[in-house]
Amino acid sequence: MEIHRYEKIWFVIALLMIVGFIATIAYGAVGAGVEMIADDGGTMDPNDVSGTEFEDPGVRQVGEDHYEVYVLSQQFLFRPGTTEPIRVPAGSTVTFYITSTDVMHGFALAGTNLNVMVIPGQVAKVTVEFEDPGEYGIVCNEYCGNGHHSMEGKVVVVPESQYEGP
Amino acid sequence: MSAESPFVERFPSEARIVRLNLGVAFIALFIGGLFGAIQSLHRTGVYRGLIQSSDYYSMLTAHGVLLALVFTTFFIAGLFHWGITRSFDRNAPSQWFSMTWFGVMLLGTVLATIAILGGLIPFAPDDLNAAVLYTFYAPMKAHPLFYIGAALLIVGSWLAGADWFWSYFRWRKTNSDERIPLQAFMVLVTWLMWYLATLGVATEVVVFLIPWSLGIIPAVDPLLTRTLFWFFGHPVVYFWLLPAYFVWYTILPKLSGGRLVSDPLARVSFVLFLLLSTPVGFHHQYLDPGIAEGFKFIAMSNTMFLLLPSLLTAFTVVASMEHGARQRGGKGLLGWLRALPWDEPAFAGVALAGLMFAAGGFSGMVNAGMNLNYLVHNTQWVPGHFHLTVGTAAALTFMAISYWLVPQVTGKRLQLKGLAIVQPYLWFLGMTLMSNAMHRSGLAGVPRRTAEPEWNAVSGIAYETIVGSFQETQLQIAVGGVLLFVSVVLFSMVMFGTFLVRADLGPIRVSGSLPRPLSTAEDGPLVLDNLRLWFTIAVVLVAIAYGPPFFDMISDGVFWPGTPPTTSGL
Amino acid sequence: MSTDTEIEREISHEEFTPIGTATLIAVYFVILVVLWVFTYFVEFLGRELTVVG
Repeated sequence: MEIHRYEKIWFVIALLMIVGFIATIAYGAVGAGVEMIADDGGTMDPNDVSGTEFEDPGVRQVGEDHYEVYVLSQQFLFRPGTTEPIRVPAGSTVTFYITSTDVMHGFALAGTNLNVMVIPGQVAKVTVEFEDPGEYGIVCNEYCGNGHHSMEGKVVVVPESQYEGP
Repeated sequence: MSAESPFVERFPSEARIVRLNLGVAFIALFIGGLFGAIQSLHRTGVYRGLIQSSDYYSMLTAHGVLLALVFTTFFIAGLFHWGITRSFDRNAPSQWFSMTWFGVMLLGTVLATIAILGGLIPFAPDDLNAAVLYTFYAPMKAHPLFYIGAALLIVGSWLAGADWFWSYFRWRKTNSDERIPLQAFMVLVTWLMWYLATLGVATEVVVFLIPWSLGIIPAVDPLLTRTLFWFFGHPVVYFWLLPAYFVWYTILPKLSGGRLVSDPLARVSFVLFLLLSTPVGFHHQYLDPGIAEGFKFIAMSNTMFLLLPSLLTAFTVVASMEHGARQRGGKGLLGWLRALPWDEPAFAGVALAGLMFAAGGFSGMVNAGMNLNYLVHNTQWVPGHFHLTVGTAAALTFMAISYWLVPQVTGKRLQLKGLAIVQPYLWFLGMTLMSNAMHRSGLAGVPRRTAEPEWNAVSGIAYETIVGSFQETQLQIAVGGVLLFVSVVLFSMVMFGTFLVRADLGPIRVSGSLPRPLSTAEDGPLVLDNLRLWFTIAVVLVAIAYGPPFFDMISDGVFWPGTPPTTSGL
Repeated sequence: MSTDTEIEREISHEEFTPIGTATLIAVYFVILVVLWVFTYFVEFLGRELTVVG
């Protein structure tokens, strides 16, 4: 098989570039500490939330600076998040547990790297650190029905001194 | 290959099958394109008077299905039927069988389209709708006709492949020592990949969604059905891309005035696609709960290596164009580019499609990056990417090569050539505007698949773009979307005019002959043609990538955690 | 398409050197690497709220 020298060189460069891309992702994981959402949130019966934390979703304090937020996604609102914002203090580590009891949804804080799929039967578990006070918009970014475009919410990160608890 | 009577004269029955497939494809392209223009005006807020936001999703489903499943599959089937017939230089084994697969595909298409359009027609029955989008994730349910139609379209495509493999086996009996002709090789390899890929969606639809939508089984596991979809959902993009590569490798060099520099390298790239297209589906599920990180990482590595055959294709195809340009008298390091026939519609469209694909390749590389997906998942970046790839690399190649192919399968000269010359450039301009804006607004967090991306109830939040503004991106999307539809109108006029004109106005001006490559098939190792070997390895790689995760999902119950059907709220 | 009649001279496999292609691909490679580094390190890692667990 005759391959021109220039193409052989490109073949090697292309392979190196591919390895470089993989190495970058690995650096993100090992160096910068970015974790992938996985299956550690567990599963549950999407037709019956009784006896689970999702029966009464909301913010819970579980440590000095550690909070858990249970979010139930439904057509077409986040509970909490939509009718009342999710409130956490600045400087906290927050673990979100998110599920749905009807269809697929998405839970993303627009403009940030917090972005997950919400699948009935699965619990999406992700942990992030809120350093500074501010506000974030929650977008449902997975089509969930004819009111999908109105499904929004808010996360409010309150200055630590002003936080009154969950 | 025979000398110069046109294909339609040598193979009239096969030409008819090609025309039928292309005809359906072009009708789907027009309707899908019209809906795309309406969508681009609606979601950007430029004009929302044509449909309600709640109906947007039926229209979006139609847009996705008609363009990404119907236009593509029918065009590809027509193109490949031509390629197989040309390669083996003999009639299809059974004209009746060819008509049958076309009929099955068409029936499936009509059923699914009725279900989808039912959601847009006010007097249609309430349950006749399929506002589930092209990905139709459970628990959102469509009318059973949608799933039945989809299944028939897939089964029809399987029969098309059987037609071509039948041709191949017959040819083999009298040509046991010859290399498979390049175009036939590409058709057969693409279809082997397709048979493997469609196992996922066929299982999802036939085993789960059809019975579930009919009420025969009460619940399905949404994670399992979604995973079965994406088993198919990644290789389907290569099902769209490989026919474009078929054009770029076997026809574009001749349109450029030259020859393909290497037949064996073209075969190598197709074999790599057969091996790696399917065991990568989890890169569409990087942000799914319920799937362990290890499976996602394996998918990422496979995906990154899947870049290789495209990067090789870039070199081989551009080199073949350079060969043609220099044969036409082009000189200089880059000056040869001007010697190419940019005023010929088929050449210009295919070349522009390839150029745009280079940009789409970059956003694809980003999409492959596992943790990088947090940045772009379900934002407008994603349609920004795929309008460059399926939407241009494939769609514009298909439109442009029709200017070359349709005269040969109709026996008629291309009409309205002035419009044909402009059409690819207009597409390129419209797509540049629309896609760059989609990428930028996606980085600002603007979601895809929504009728109204602006914040409604939540106040005090704004999308922040790095360059420009949110409003300006929306305007570019609207303008780009409309220009793209005008381009589709021009294309449709040329095709309609050509199909309808009288046949006896003189011989066609296109020459169907394709020159021999510089490095021919015989220069490549025999093992490249060993389809059984490559298919076996492909199956093994899929078993490794998907076996353990499917086992995980099924081991707590095939139907658990299970959900009943839910409507879209229509 | 009458491109067949517009060919000035034939170029054989041995005579052909794809130097223009190599140049274009090299430029493309540089663009890819620059955009990748920008997208990953500036857009992605430079953004708030990374998932850490």
